[in-house]
Amino acid sequence: MTEKRNKTHMEDVIINAVQNGPEVDPPADLTCRIMGRLHPKRPSLWIRLRMWFLRPWVVTVRPVTAIPAMTLAVALLALGFVAVREPVEKGAPELASVRFVLHDAGMHARNVSVVGSFNHWRAERSVMWYSPKAKAWILEAQLPPGDHEYLFLVNGTQFVPDPNAPMTSDDGFGHRNSIVFVNGTNEQAL
Amino acid sequence: MKDKREAEIIRKILLGDVQAYGVLVREYQRPVYNLMLRMTGDEDIAADLAQDAFVRAYERLASFNQRRRFFPWLYTLALNVARDWGRREGRDRHVFVEDAAVLVREQDRLDEPKAVNDRIDGAKAFAAVMDLDSKYREALILRYRHDFSMQEIAETLGIGISAAKMRLSRGLDMVRQQFDGGTND
Repeated sequence: MTEKRNKTHMEDVIINAVQNGPEVDPPADLTCRIMGRLHPKRPSLWIRLRMWFLRPWVVTVRPVTAIPAMTLAVALLALGFVAVREPVEKGAPELASVRFVLHDAGMHARNVSVVGSFNHWRAERSVMWYSPKAKAWILEAQLPPGDHEYLFLVNGTQFVPDPNAPMTSDDGFGHRNSIVFVNGTNEQAL
Repeated sequence: MKDKREAEIIRKILLGDVQAYGVLVREYQRPVYNLMLRMTGDEDIAADLAQDAFVRAYERLASFNQRRRFFPWLYTLALNVARDWGRREGRDRHVFVEDAAVLVREQDRLDEPKAVNDRIDGAKAFAAVMDLDSKYREALILRYRHDFSMQEIAETLGIGISAAKMRLSRGLDMVRQQFDGGTND
């Protein structure tokens, strides 16, 4: 056997040995011992939000529902085409000015953001500023008409519903989101 | 498919289903326990450290990136648990050597001579791998036993990809050198 072949052969032997070398069985009660040390945790709102966004989506299409749905879709497309050809008077829907306020007299929070359906629940898009005069965290936002779910994110970790929001909605995980209604006349309807 | 199943299990755990974690424990307790055994050489300590690793993984599961494979993440965590133990005990390097003799099963002795020789070489090679410094040994085990990619090996061992390749190459070289001029020819 040449030196090169010998080297390759030995390498194969070593790799094969690593692949198939013996392993020791773990103690029979190891799983029980591990599981016995775990404490159930209530998932935070942030985790539940993440899981909601990451959850697998199942789309089922049945011919019975697909045919009417496609007919409707084509009709809507055609309608949209006609509508687009009409002269646009007002353009895009008017945005309304919405003021988010979280009172914090002692400025206990280091930073606060508004996260909601209107900013895809991304805190970096809606960072609030602290008003020493109002002793509150404040953000003015321009939102389209409709109802928007939101929460305050305090110090980047803690989700807090708006204490002044008159309406809340179930987030599907046992917690509630605050709701702001925007009526499209440059005023928020609370 | 396996990764998708694990992602669903992890999702359940994060939503509060602690019992779902048992599936992952049963799946990976063997490699984690054997890692601890290689690092400590003591079955009781290995069992305790394996427990610690799984408990720590459970506690930190929220930080796991679900686009990655779970096992490399778990292995990295387990390796850190073992290293912490090593530092506490003042022995960063402890070698656990399998008895090569037990690797040659009785029925193998009936095989043709060359095959027997190969297996003996394999047994010696395995013992030599187990005798390596842990940084070379774990690189070889991750690559050839657990099919980790170079990227995963690098991340698990906390080194660059070039260094990971170097460790594999150097590990193979060190084992091979033990047999140069030996019985293999």
